[in-house]
Amino acid sequence: MKCLDFTSRIDEYLDDQLRPENAEAFRNHLARCPTCAEEADAVEGLRRRAARLPQSLDPPQDLWPEIATRIAAERVVRGRFGRRALMAAAAVALIAGSVVTAYLVGRSQVGTTVENRQIIENDPSEIVLASFQELGVADYLVTRSGLFGALEVRSGDLSPETLEVLMTNLKVIDDAMEKIAEALEEEPDNEFLMKQLAAAYRRQINLLETAVQLPAEV
Amino acid sequence: METIATFPTDVAPPVAVMTEANSSDRGKSGLVERAAAGDVEAFEELYRANVGRVYALCLRMAGDPTLAEELAQEAFVRAWQKLGSFRGASAFSTWLHRVTVNVVLGHRRSTIRREARVRPLGDDLPRDVAGREAGTAESIDLERAISSLPDGARKVFVLHDVEGFRHQEVSHVMGIAVGTSKAQLHRARKLLRKALTS
Ligand SMILES: [Zn+2]
Repeated sequence: MKCLDFTSRIDEYLDDQLRPENAEAFRNHLARCPTCAEEADAVEGLRRRAARLPQSLDPPQDLWPEIATRIAAERVVRGRFGRRALMAAAAVALIAGSVVTAYLVGRSQVGTTVENRQIIENDPSEIVLASFQELGVADYLVTRSGLFGALEVRSGDLSPETLEVLMTNLKVIDDAMEKIAEALEEEPDNEFLMKQLAAAYRRQINLLETAVQLPAEV
Repeated sequence: METIATFPTDVAPPVAVMTEANSSDRGKSGLVERAAAGDVEAFEELYRANVGRVYALCLRMAGDPTLAEELAQEAFVRAWQKLGSFRGASAFSTWLHRVTVNVVLGHRRSTIRREARVRPLGDDLPRDVAGREAGTAESIDLERAISSLPDGARKVFVLHDVEGFRHQEVSHVMGIAVGTSKAQLHRARKLLRKALTS
């Protein structure tokens, strides 16, 4: 046995996890190698000392009042989620108008009511971008900008009505994301909110992709 | 487009095996049920019985008293939210311990860090510890040395040598390779021995 093996398996040795023949080799090495013998002593001593640390330490101040406040805030709203989270969910659910319906309706009524509509790409707020970062979605801005760019190119092909519904829905989703991101700032580990943000993201990207692929109507 | 498939809704990995159930939990199953049904007073009793253990774990793993307080609070709030999923297969304290480990390891994603991390571990740690009967001179030295370890090495050391996790479990909860866990532990011990003998 080499000294290196010894170091990497010392815990298995101390925990009696080695097979008998390996444990035997371990003991033989210990008897011959003062360096490893010293190492084993030191590790064992440190482990024993660490295991003796008090299991319980009182916090410097009572943590209950803050916990009680947070729990009470949750109880105000039925279920486990705060009012803001429910509003965020409601906002996403509100995305009613279908861009495909608008497209189909728009085709039959080209140029009737709505004035020329432009593609306006609003930049998502810092707080929304930060939320996506925290959740590991690094390419949100790139994906979004890419699709807006593609839409810009297609905008001349779509009727004002279709563009109107499209822009309204994009705005609703942007606003929903904003609300969810704000709520996430306060409750960063709220899985419900993460799912809502994911849902809003999926809807927005789907919407943009659908719009980009609509056949020319004007 | 299925960009969304990897969205991390599952925040932290579960702890594989936990050692050590608190035997005093046995008579408290009524409390847990009441708390799960929304009884705040019952939950406060559970808090009183467990806060020391939760705070000790947070303090040692975070290495920062202010952050430890916030993490401990977060752990109890999370426990409250998840009480419905506590099945009673383990003791409540064991389950809470697991929730706490997940909160501490998951806190990088949270905003807590941004504000709380500024304060370095100063001399207030030994004072906090010294204020307790349990804090012997020997344990105070070790606590202080642990708090000065680099983040990864400290977490591995606390889980392995203080909490009694095996490398497999450390690897699982921290999302690192077993080899990394061993290397971090080796590094932690080397640094601790140096700090404790100087
Ligand atoms: Zn050797």
